[in-house]
Amino acid sequence: MYEEPYRWVEAVGNRRQYLDEQFKQGSPVVALTYDGGILLTTVSKGTPKLYEIYDRLALGGMGHPTDLEKLRFSLLEMAHVEGFNRSPSDVTGSRLVKYGIAPVIKQAFEEVYKAPFIVRILVAELGQKPEKDALLTINYDGTFEETTGRAVLAATLAVQTKMMSYLKEQTPATLSLEQALDLALRTWAIGSLAHQQEETDQQAEAKPPTSGTGSSAVAILSSDTLIAHVRGIAGERTIECAVLDRQATGTSKYRSLRPTDLARLLPKAFQSVVAN
Amino acid sequence: MGMQGDFLQLLKEQGYTLGAPTAVGTGHALTNATTILAFKYRDGVLVAGDRRATAGNMVMYDRTDKVLEIDPHSVMAIAGVPATAYEMVRILEHSFKYYRRTQLQELSFDGKLRAVSKLLKDNVPAALAGTGAVVPVFAGYDMEQGSAKIYFYDILGAEFEGVEYAVSGSGSPTIRGILHYLNTWGEQPLCALPEEQAMVQALRLLTSAAEFDSATGGVNREASLYPVIKLITGAGVQTVPDATLKPLYESQVVRYV
Repeated sequence: MYEEPYRWVEAVGNRRQYLDEQFKQGSPVVALTYDGGILLTTVSKGTPKLYEIYDRLALGGMGHPTDLEKLRFSLLEMAHVEGFNRSPSDVTGSRLVKYGIAPVIKQAFEEVYKAPFIVRILVAELGQKPEKDALLTINYDGTFEETTGRAVLAATLAVQTKMMSYLKEQTPATLSLEQALDLALRTWAIGSLAHQQEETDQQAEAKPPTSGTGSSAVAILSSDTLIAHVRGIAGERTIECAVLDRQATGTSKYRSLRPTDLARLLPKAFQSVVAN
Repeated sequence: MGMQGDFLQLLKEQGYTLGAPTAVGTGHALTNATTILAFKYRDGVLVAGDRRATAGNMVMYDRTDKVLEIDPHSVMAIAGVPATAYEMVRILEHSFKYYRRTQLQELSFDGKLRAVSKLLKDNVPAALAGTGAVVPVFAGYDMEQGSAKIYFYDILGAEFEGVEYAVSGSGSPTIRGILHYLNTWGEQPLCALPEEQAMVQALRLLTSAAEFDSATGGVNREASLYPVIKLITGAGVQTVPDATLKPLYESQVVRYV
């Protein structure tokens, strides 16, 4: 029945609705460049969501763990084979995304008889120079965006926009790792609260998921509220942070921050979060 | 199936072969790299190699690095055909990283040893044909057991543990005897040597090897060329800078007679 063009468009539309629904319980991901590299932050439940891909590449994801694993493996395979056959400097995030996984994700999304990938992916690349740092995000339909400085993954476009505008507003000219961590966690809280807000809006008024209601309410939240939100949630979840550290010795620049690192780096207000 | 985290397997699936058997043509002298040694000292393992690469009786290169860091805790020193050896090192480097990144845990020390054996086994045809024989020494720090380890191999891939020391390359027969003598009747066994004494012994051993083996380059002070010495301890691999070796060589190795 999908042979007719209209049916196909309808099927793809349904697919979008179905996929949007899948990310509701997901945890946002925040990526930020700081003076020594790139920081990735999320708060995960059970399975980790931040991974090392190559010497200068990191991955953050939202969605179904198995789908994320599949794509992570293809990224790892492509990156290592390319790094061996050519050279590590030829392994770039942009090539891996544009010619590697984005077409695969798009194809799976449009083949309406098959299962799509339930994922949103963020690839961070540490350049040889800070100007070359890049952040790429890929949506479940294979569309990708390349940005610098900051990028986020969230359940809906509205939440994503909220988080990005908070980041833009709050980011000073240069960030230390401590400042970046603080900002990343607050931004994560903005996203997480906006997810909750959308849920309640939807339940109360049965509005479409991209409804803008509550955006202004979130935007003016104070730091204290945001910190309290992270604290409230951290008991049953883990704060996950990873850096691509330009100063790291050796070829691999990826390092995930251990609880002891976090305890040292987080501002006082967040300290109790790590103690858990 | 990429799920096992086996990088070599992945390469093979893409059509890669290591060490295809090619008969060596006449009149071509192949490049060879020469003396390497490793011994345990007080804090870990010392691995050293001279810097000469030869092809027949010609010196190809005088700045070869035969002691190659594979990951932060392991080193492979190579003797034999450098082309194959460097390729092996590149495969190993990528294999260990690939394993760690896919499986989200470090490959065990035994797993690393096995990976070296497998590569040598794949390379047997080329080794027997005479185009790609490599005889490495693999040394590292086993983080799980908290101890330093040395292994050496034959060209077929058999692995032997060098409990106290291991040597390889054309200059190795000379220094093997010296190592045995030092370790048995020296003032103290090798494994008790402090760092500086260990470096002095390594410089003396390589100088001795160069004395009797034309394919081993000793120290060339005019060109400021010193052997490569790496120290592996629980803290990782550390390359000894020439600035440290120079005074040691001048005060404790050179004899004016």
